[in-house]
Amino acid sequence: MLRNRVKELRARYGFTQSDLGKRVNVTRQTIAFIEKGEFSPSITLALKLARALETSVDELFWLEGDGEDEK
Amino acid sequence: MKNDFRLQYPLWMMGFIVVLGLFAYGISSPVVEITGTELEQSVMVSVSGEKGFFTLGSIMLYLVMLLIFFLQLRKHNREKPGQKISPFSIRPPEYLEQDEGMTYITRKASQKVYTFITWGLPALAAFAMLFSISKLLIIWGILFIALGQYWIYYREIRKHFKEETE
Repeated sequence: MLRNRVKELRARYGFTQSDLGKRVNVTRQTIAFIEKGEFSPSITLALKLARALETSVDELFWLEGDGEDEK
Repeated sequence: MKNDFRLQYPLWMMGFIVVLGLFAYGISSPVVEITGTELEQSVMVSVSGEKGFFTLGSIMLYLVMLLIFFLQLRKHNREKPGQKISPFSIRPPEYLEQDEGMTYITRKASQKVYTFITWGLPALAAFAMLFSISKLLIIWGILFIALGQYWIYYREIRKHFKEETE
C-alpha cells in the first residue's frame, strides 16, 4: 500500500489543501484523496507534489512493507 | 464541491425516473376508440379516473421538475463557466473529470454501475421470459434498474466527499 507524508509536509509549509492543489493544478478533493490514501497519484503528479513541497518523491511516498517485498 | 450540480445530477435523474414510472402506470391499459367514417375520423384515448390522475399529475410534476432543473442548470453554468453542462450532451454530465483524482473516483463509481447493469438487465430479461408479467411491470423493472444505477453512482461519489477536511 502506498503511504505518504503529504499532509505532514503541507502543514509544515502552512498550505491548505486548496493552496497545494492550485500549485500542482489539481482540485482540493484530489489532495484530500491522496492524503487519505484513497488514491495513488500518477508519477507526474507525484513529481509535482514533491517539487511543491520541496522534497523528493521517495521522501514523500513509500510502499508499506517495501523491504519485505525485496526479500 | 458538495453543492456541485454534477453531484446532484443523479438525484435529479432518479426523480425524473420516478415520475416516468407514475406516468407509465397512468397510461397503462388505456381504452382506445378509433372512429373512421365519412363524416368523422378520430382517435380517442381514455383512461380511468385514478389512472388519469396519475397521468396528468405526473405530466404536471414532470414539467415543474423540468423547470426547476433547467433553472439549477443555468445557475450552475453561470457560476462555473469552466465546467458548463449541456442538457443535450451524450456524455453523462455527472462524470467528474477535472483531474486524475476525480477521474479515479468517477471510474470506480462507473465500474460499480457497470457491474449492477451486467447482472440487472439479464436478470430482468430472464424474469420477463420465465413469468408472464405485464408490460407495465417490465417497464417498471427497466426503470428500477435505471434508478439503481443512478443510486449506486451517487452513493459511491458521495462517499468520497463525505469526510472532506481542509
